[in-house]
Amino acid sequence: MDYQKVKEMNSLCNDEIVSEFKCRNGFAELSIETKKAVVQRVNETSRKEAEDESRLPLLEAAYTTILQGLGENTDRQGLLRTPLRAAKAMQFLTKGYHETVYDILNDAIFDEDHEELVIVKDIDVFSLCEHHLVPFFGKVHIGYLPNKKVVGLSKLARIVEIYSRRLQVQERLTKQIAMAISEALQPAGVAVVIEATHMCMVMRGVQKMNSRTVTSAMLGSFREDPKTREEFLALTKNA
Amino acid sequence: MDRSKQNQLKQNEKQAASAGDSSVNGHFDGMAKITNRTGLPLAGSGETSGQSSSAIENWREERTRSVEDNEMSLPSIAAAYTTILRGLGEDPQRQGLLKTPWRAATAMQFFTKGYQEKIIDVLNDAIFDEDHDEMVIVKDIDMFSMCEHHLVPIFGRVHIGYLPNKRVLGLSKLARIVEIYSRRLQVQERLTKQIAVAITEALQPAGVGVVIEATHMCMVMRGVQKMNSKTVTSTMLGVFREDPKTRDEFLTLIRS
Repeated sequence: MDYQKVKEMNSLCNDEIVSEFKCRNGFAELSIETKKAVVQRVNETSRKEAEDESRLPLLEAAYTTILQGLGENTDRQGLLRTPLRAAKAMQFLTKGYHETVYDILNDAIFDEDHEELVIVKDIDVFSLCEHHLVPFFGKVHIGYLPNKKVVGLSKLARIVEIYSRRLQVQERLTKQIAMAISEALQPAGVAVVIEATHMCMVMRGVQKMNSRTVTSAMLGSFREDPKTREEFLALTKNA
Repeated sequence: MDRSKQNQLKQNEKQAASAGDSSVNGHFDGMAKITNRTGLPLAGSGETSGQSSSAIENWREERTRSVEDNEMSLPSIAAAYTTILRGLGEDPQRQGLLKTPWRAATAMQFFTKGYQEKIIDVLNDAIFDEDHDEMVIVKDIDMFSMCEHHLVPIFGRVHIGYLPNKRVLGLSKLARIVEIYSRRLQVQERLTKQIAVAITEALQPAGVGVVIEATHMCMVMRGVQKMNSKTVTSTMLGVFREDPKTRDEFLTLIRS
């Protein structure tokens, strides 16, 4: 039953809303989906806090199996409590699954007569690659054009935290952040740029140390008006 | 045959571990293992040469994992990862996660491939007699390891310097030594020492200095969450330990 909800949650941001968005270009049509999105967002929690404690022994046993499978001696001093620590660490790194945007944002949206670009940049982001379970990290730059409603600035960083502390794909992460902001505020436009280093490319596989992946999501006037987009990109460029 | 060897090595580790917490990494830890084996007390730094003979014997027994072992344990590690995905509340059947347990298991085996390699295989033919007794430094060697406490990556740079004593080592072999010891479940202090001891025992130089500067994801991504923190550890053996000027020269040269 849990897994069904999770599927809905991930498909919320993968198949259903996004595919519909692809079919229609305009931002105005996005608002039609927002009602459905709000309803599904309330159900987004897939794990309650209480379940975290009860799942720990299962995760611990799995980590012990992994350590033994790697040929290590799980009785040596440095590894004695490692399964527990690794299980807790993994739970922390995926804690975004049981946080909802709704809870965080609900009281920090203010009516402000401001229609100029608001940018929060250089937000450190840490996530886990869902293909290799290896971290990727980098910086997020978020910009939005308010439409009479502004959001508390730290809430943008908290939205990043919710979606990044999951098993992620960088493209999906970018889009989820953009969609969450557009659903919450209905702004004139949202822009999200993520520049990240993927350990799965650096530590293994091709082993390219200095490679970075950049993804962006432009919604609303950022997508339609090249000058707005240029202004955002110029302001977020690090000298 | 490999299986029984692995079992026997595991027994050895267990014995050594019960005998006094000496089998660090389960394998080659030059200092401690020698003490248990020969019963000699650990003195200062002057016993390097006395250890080298029994240490080289250690090298020959060092391997505990083979490619066949990897293949045989892959299904159980993958099953463990599937359990972890479920335990975290994810759906292992969704498209993005379908083959993740196998990818993650292979990735983890790659991150611990140092257990499959032996120093003696890597070094055996790249030691040359050269009449050189000035400092040789290889710096900015990228290093990637796994924290043994949280199973989260550590990455940083290693700087190695040594004063040859008529024998020099192929330069890439220094980087290969770093690879062997870093691709394990590690603690940064132990890693630094293992690299230094390995070079000492291979070359018997006048001195060895190893400095590692690394970022620990376990501190950056979780826990205290200090983004810019770096951990620096160093091991100085021989002349580097005794003579402050040599040490100074080494530290200045790696800084520039």
